[in-house]
Amino acid sequence: MTANTEGTSTQSTGNNSTGRRLWFSTQWVVAVIVLVIALIAPLFVQTYWLHVLIIAYFYAILASSWSLLAGYAGQFSFAHMAFMALGAYTVGLLGRFLRLSTAPTGTCAEVRLGNLWLVLLNAVGDNCLEVGKANMPVGTLIYHPPLVPGIILGILVAGLAGLAIGALVLRFRAAYLALFTIAFSEILRTLIRGEPQITRGDHGLRVAALFPDTISRIPYYYTMLAILVASLLFMFWLARSRVGLFLRAIREDEEAAAARGVDVVRYKVMTFVITAMLAGLAGVFLAHYITILSPNIMVLPQMGLVIAMAIIGGVESLLAAAIGALIIQVSLELLREFEAWRLVIFGALLIVTLRFARNGLLAPLMQQLAGVVPRPESRREEAAAEVGEEVRV
Amino acid sequence: MEYFLSLTITGLVMGIIYALMALGLTLIFSILGVINFAHGEFYMLGGYMSYFILAVVAGLNPFVAVAVGGLIIALIGLIFELGFLRPMHLGHIERPAEYAILITFGLSFFLQNLALATFGPYPHRPPSFFEGSVDLGIIRIGADRLTASLLALALLAVLLLIINRTWIGKALQAVSQNKDATAIVGINPLRMNTLAFGMGVGLAALSGALLAPSFSITPDVGAVPSIRSYIIIVLGGMGSIPGSILGGLLIGLVESFGAGYFPDPSRALNYKMVFGLVIFALILLFRPRGLFGRREA
Repeated sequence: MTANTEGTSTQSTGNNSTGRRLWFSTQWVVAVIVLVIALIAPLFVQTYWLHVLIIAYFYAILASSWSLLAGYAGQFSFAHMAFMALGAYTVGLLGRFLRLSTAPTGTCAEVRLGNLWLVLLNAVGDNCLEVGKANMPVGTLIYHPPLVPGIILGILVAGLAGLAIGALVLRFRAAYLALFTIAFSEILRTLIRGEPQITRGDHGLRVAALFPDTISRIPYYYTMLAILVASLLFMFWLARSRVGLFLRAIREDEEAAAARGVDVVRYKVMTFVITAMLAGLAGVFLAHYITILSPNIMVLPQMGLVIAMAIIGGVESLLAAAIGALIIQVSLELLREFEAWRLVIFGALLIVTLRFARNGLLAPLMQQLAGVVPRPESRREEAAAEVGEEVRV
Repeated sequence: MEYFLSLTITGLVMGIIYALMALGLTLIFSILGVINFAHGEFYMLGGYMSYFILAVVAGLNPFVAVAVGGLIIALIGLIFELGFLRPMHLGHIERPAEYAILITFGLSFFLQNLALATFGPYPHRPPSFFEGSVDLGIIRIGADRLTASLLALALLAVLLLIINRTWIGKALQAVSQNKDATAIVGINPLRMNTLAFGMGVGLAALSGALLAPSFSITPDVGAVPSIRSYIIIVLGGMGSIPGSILGGLLIGLVESFGAGYFPDPSRALNYKMVFGLVIFALILLFRPRGLFGRREA
């Protein structure tokens, strides 16, 4: 009898430790299977579904990076789509207002870069480039600027906005971040709509295509997939590093983490900036793919959709959030005939998931596959204990 | 000077309605410790309710429709509180602060899409309370807007009376100060939570119903008023009733002066909200507890 009890107890602890390893390996198996399917998908699907999948990957980047912030760091931002839009509008505006010229225009604001001039077009009044052309030497070439610096700048702008907001708000309780980001997001949208001379407002801002020489969507498909995989790998690495551990400790008990020597605000701001940049990255490539931007990309229901994807998938698992986004985006297409009711269904599912399945619907399923029963009550001690060890090192 | 006075009047007229809506948010926050991220959607539903009540019951007095609409929305709020917020206070939910943010935002997403699916994206406008406009000497103001403002003022007065003079009001105040002590003297804090949430969203719905004849109702109409309310409660101090009233009036004035003195009148309206965001940032930088907040934020 005694032996039996001992046996069970050792077995259960054994199960727990191997279970942890198994859980990670299952996660990787799932990831590899999904990746292989994604890689060969263009062989089987039509252009239209390729488009659906590109947008699904876009949402997966947003949902997983939002879940890094929410599920790992416990910070709830409603500005994720605003950062995405900042990245997108940065490349859009650079393309609209910057030109490279082999001769100075004399009429526009311009700076010399080697033997080229970087020309800033004006938003109001006569197009200064057209006016200046009259006096420019014959054979002057005018180019659109290359896309790569714009892409980098777009990501940086999103990151800088994240830094400013994070530094301002993350010193306070979580509710302040939610309050400030929801206000920032809506007000930024009003501004973009309200300055049509610069942003073209609701008319839509044209953006250069990433692959102008082809009408095929396949290059876009692999680009968006590559960005998704790269961001996921980066986030996995981050989540399993010391930083990820600190973040989980902060989420479970901010004061305890601070007492153990974790610089709480610094890590929160850092994560906020990183996730803002990932959102900006998604936005930059969305802009170069759909080639037209309107402020509607950042309305709050869009933000709500991303949150629904992350929560229904499982906000504490990056992979579950990403796959949740893929499944929901594809189901939204499949359920097209239900029109506006589709989002009502996912809204209801979001609320029910929050209330009754805090780990989401996919994450527990993925754990079940690995035969691991989650033990939520022990996580707090685990995280605290691990941080304690880490800090003492 | 005349222009200045007219801007002051417009600012105060709107500010009173802003205060009413923000007071609902404050009531919920001070009792439940929850920020209702679906506040704007209850505002929106209040507007739709009074529209459809008037459309169904022909010849009904519009004020009755406003009141009935507010009551129905308050009941919906009660039910939501019982189903989704009470478990949090019973300790059934891990990390309740995060849950509160997400569940109310989730509700906002759900309600906004529900309104879109049910009512469509087109604006609905209930009939006017009174046609035309009223001459206040310096400025003419829409009769509907003035009516809304006066009713909001009356509601504020009634509410302050309830909170300060009645048993219920004192019980609510007690819960906001100390839950355990309140329970010991025989007040059930859980019931007060439900009541406060119902009252709070009812106030949002009433604001929406009062303003619906002036600005028509669409499914996304709640975003701006709710964000304005968030700024007001941070400005006034989270959980402070006088703070949210004064904050509402101040934001009304800021928007009115900001738009009135903006160099380019055609774009002025777009920048109204930007001033609010600037104020939000300044409060966080220099006085995070707001005008009347408790020192803890």
